[in-house]
Amino acid sequence: MRALSVTVFTLSLVFAAHGQESPYIVTYDHHLEEPGNLEIETFSTAGIPRSGQQFYFAPYTELEYGVTARWTTELYIEGQSTAGDSTVFTGWRSEHRFRPFAREHAINPVLYLEYESINEASRIQKEIVGHAPEFNEPNSELTQTHARELETKLILSSTVHDWNLAENFIVEKNLSEDEGFEFGYAFGISHPLATLASADECRFCRENFTAGIELYGGLGSTEQFGFRDTAHYAAPVVAWRLSDNATLHFSPAIGLTRQSNPLLLRFGYSYEFRGFGDKLARLFGAKP
Amino acid sequence: MMRLTVICLGVVVAIAGAENPSYKPDDDWQAPAAAVARPNPLANKPQAAQGGRKLFMRNCAECHGEDAMGMGKKHSANLRLAAVQSQSDGSLFWKITNGNVDKGMPPFSGLPEMQRWQIVLYIRTLRPRP
Repeated sequence: MRALSVTVFTLSLVFAAHGQESPYIVTYDHHLEEPGNLEIETFSTAGIPRSGQQFYFAPYTELEYGVTARWTTELYIEGQSTAGDSTVFTGWRSEHRFRPFAREHAINPVLYLEYESINEASRIQKEIVGHAPEFNEPNSELTQTHARELETKLILSSTVHDWNLAENFIVEKNLSEDEGFEFGYAFGISHPLATLASADECRFCRENFTAGIELYGGLGSTEQFGFRDTAHYAAPVVAWRLSDNATLHFSPAIGLTRQSNPLLLRFGYSYEFRGFGDKLARLFGAKP
Repeated sequence: MMRLTVICLGVVVAIAGAENPSYKPDDDWQAPAAAVARPNPLANKPQAAQGGRKLFMRNCAECHGEDAMGMGKKHSANLRLAAVQSQSDGSLFWKITNGNVDKGMPPFSGLPEMQRWQIVLYIRTLRPRP
């Protein structure tokens, strides 16, 4: 298990960004992975916790594949390291996004379904749902509590004069325990820094940067719905396209409630393998 | 020398095989009249086509080929054909924006609007090849 955790960490240091790269880290917009492309992403969440709690670092690696122009599938593996405690593997997730409508509309819905097999030590906070977790228990105890969870999202996203507006409404059900349904939300707005592409390849020109802001948090559960004891964050985001295939992401998320971490530093790198599906098929003898 | 000839022939055959000379437009994939009528706001900035070429290579060449001749296996259009070139700028822009997801072409609405027009501008520079 320790070897697997180390692998997750190593991958996260080596890798961490799309043709149409969204700057968001938590919020989803309606742009799916292009068919046949594989994107490898590694993100990390570094948590600056409340007083008396320990700093933690939670990396995750994500494989995102465009099955069709309407369907994108992803696999995550994640880990976590807490200062003065230990480094642990915290589980895996499998998610699918479906685009029901063929054409672009004023509001574009995407349906999202995710299965999670994680333990309570998970700290990646890819989504914030339910009530805010306590970060006081040691990893050795937290890893003993496994959770199989089913998560659905309604993703709504619009493009208005090159602004992207995205809204995610989240419902999560822990299949391992009777906790009712947990709710959460994520909103994002972003805009490229330049809308015209220059003739030459350039690394630092404005067209390679997209900036925005995310707002996300939990909304309690069916047992206690609302803002009480929930975590909420406001997070500026910036994405920097390093090349045709690679993008860097950075987002400092500022906690808005007493139950939130004061600061979450999120950063990541993504690399896209174009035509991966075809290359893989040729490897197994398919004709070009 | 013989070996070089064989390699060159192989490359020619591979390129020819990758093209899609049999491309037939999807009759159900038509831009609405309002979209067809939209003019390209970059029409008087032909220099923007160079940026369009860069965007084409990044976003379109995977399926349409770097030479834009289409790819048989992907059922992608040869963008040099009259069937494509005869369409209005607005129609091409609409198709890039919306894609044809059930036929495998993703929408590119995530690209800024001007960049999509740049791609249209670049497509206009393509000429039929014998």
